[in-house]
Amino acid sequence: MSESRLADRTGGSGARHKGLMAALLPVAGLFFVFLLLLILIAAFVPENVEHYLALKNIKTILKQAVIVGIGALAMTMIIVSGGIDLSAGSLVALAAVVCAHTVNWCDGDVFYLGFIPVPVLAAIAVGAFAGLLNGAVSARLGIAPFIVTLGMMMIARGLAEGLANEEIVRTPDNVLKTLMMRNPEPGWLIFSYGVWINILLLAGMMVLMRYTVFGRYIYALGANEQAARYSGINVTVNRVLIFTIAGAMFGLAGVMSYADIGDGDPTTAIALELDIIAAVVIGGASLAGGRGTPAGSMIGALIISVLYNGCVMLRVDDWVQKVLIGSIIIAAVWIDGIRNRRTP
Amino acid sequence: MRRRIILLLAFPAMFIAGCAKDDSGESAVGANGKADRKLRIAVIPKGTTHEFWKSGEAGARKAGEELGVEIIWKGPQRESDRAGQLKVVENFITQSVDGIALAPLDEKALVRPVKEAAEAGIKVAVWDSGLDESVGDAIISFVATDNFHAGEECGRRLAGLMGGKGRVIMLRHAVGHASTTKRAEGFLSGIKKAAPDIELVSVDQRGGTSIDEAIKTSENLLNQFGENIQGVFTPNESTTQGMLRALDEAGLAGKVAFVGFDTNDALIDALKEKKIAALAVQDPFRMGYTAVKNIVAAINGEKFEAEVDTGAVLLDLDNIDSEKIRKLLRKPAD
Repeated sequence: MSESRLADRTGGSGARHKGLMAALLPVAGLFFVFLLLLILIAAFVPENVEHYLALKNIKTILKQAVIVGIGALAMTMIIVSGGIDLSAGSLVALAAVVCAHTVNWCDGDVFYLGFIPVPVLAAIAVGAFAGLLNGAVSARLGIAPFIVTLGMMMIARGLAEGLANEEIVRTPDNVLKTLMMRNPEPGWLIFSYGVWINILLLAGMMVLMRYTVFGRYIYALGANEQAARYSGINVTVNRVLIFTIAGAMFGLAGVMSYADIGDGDPTTAIALELDIIAAVVIGGASLAGGRGTPAGSMIGALIISVLYNGCVMLRVDDWVQKVLIGSIIIAAVWIDGIRNRRTP
Repeated sequence: MRRRIILLLAFPAMFIAGCAKDDSGESAVGANGKADRKLRIAVIPKGTTHEFWKSGEAGARKAGEELGVEIIWKGPQRESDRAGQLKVVENFITQSVDGIALAPLDEKALVRPVKEAAEAGIKVAVWDSGLDESVGDAIISFVATDNFHAGEECGRRLAGLMGGKGRVIMLRHAVGHASTTKRAEGFLSGIKKAAPDIELVSVDQRGGTSIDEAIKTSENLLNQFGENIQGVFTPNESTTQGMLRALDEAGLAGKVAFVGFDTNDALIDALKEKKIAALAVQDPFRMGYTAVKNIVAAINGEKFEAEVDTGAVLLDLDNIDSEKIRKLLRKPAD
């Protein structure tokens, strides 16, 4: 991922080659995890091999990666810019509750004028506003994002519970509830709407971070904030923008959470931010900033989803799965570190 | 350097291999040994830490042994983790298990995956807690305590213990749990019928799904009402245990009439020390057992009773040593 560094931005084909290698490392990791689980399943639960490789299982793995995946795309921006957002899980819950309330407010008729999905927009708006506050408070008042978003984590969770009156917000049947169905209508989509939304966001985020000026600013801020400032980048505005866009995406992840559960659950997504950060780190980002790609983070989210799915297929307990994901995080960062030292 | 990387990667592999062996060794033998494979039934509790669920597991495994079917036990981490339980059900659907015995932790959220399972031809029995009626005929059986009735029994007992007068608090369980909500409603109905003079000073606080949450809420309730109450009711294991701890600390244990729901060793000790007056005991063992039996019967096209009330008994110092209670309190087979 050295390609992602600002210094390499104008580098020659050598830098590009290294970039390709770096991008392939998480893919190799995903294959490794998938194969490892396949071998173990073949060895211990042979009757599950066909189920593990079945299309419906791929559908399941992808669908279960959606919420963490969308969150990881958003978190990539923040982490690459040198920040962190601990409020992601709470924002997902808050957005889910807002989405549910809005669905009730429009009586399950979620498309205003037939094409404007009001509950989705409301959820995204709430997420974006919370993100705006995160960004503005940390950038303007000079408080570390870790602290600001730690506060926001509790504020948003509290608001979610308060708005929901400490109950789950029930909603009538509506189109949004079909977003996370693994067998979508029409059938030729193959994967659930959520998966396609996730793929579109991935493509958008790849373009944004790689080919736009704003995207390059994100890397610049994370690589060296002082240098970025001296070269005329408006640090405050860009930081606020990063957190706001990320917040909007957490809001969208909240819509997916609503779709998955079918009602607005204020207690959902507790500690989700840790899964999201793990996905980003497994995907090759550096918590110090300046390094990381949306594709890598998405693969990180897939690795976590495959691990979860494979562990259920293997019939091992939850604790094994946790120990495993923990080991993979450390291993991924370690291998990435070795590679980087070797090719300075 | 490369060798070190391989070593490092090998570690998690060996680790899972080690863990996988205990769990699935039997099934692997079964799969290789016999041509026609065993039926596989997934049993999904609301949580895994309460003893209640361990009893349910023991019942399910007993039925599995008797009928020669494989039982796969897996639950979500927290009892409020709807998304987690959804995932568990979805993963069993993709595994194409033959049956699922589910204790749904939300009466609505789990309807969709249950319908998906039914469409995939998987027989689903629901135990302990109900699903919304929109589930229709996607489930083949419902096995649970008649919770409203059991709650009423508790209300009547508490009214009797308090001599028909005084003040009562009730600490509810978490939001959206059909079973504990019915118990709470049953309790209120029982109190009102048996002793209309009893004042219900707080009946809508919730202890949540974990003991530490329940302790916090109980402490706050007792800070408010402590000296002025004569009776307490809690509708499940975690709220009962949390309330017990808070009563103990406030020096009120044994001074107020306390009726709880469900048991574990600590609660039974407290009953023996007269800190708890009575505990409603359900029969999770029979729930797990019956749910699995019904699924197998449905698969084989045999007749079975689709709706089963497994009953609840009020446990107190007078009957704790009786044969019937001893059978109810049987421990999961270790």
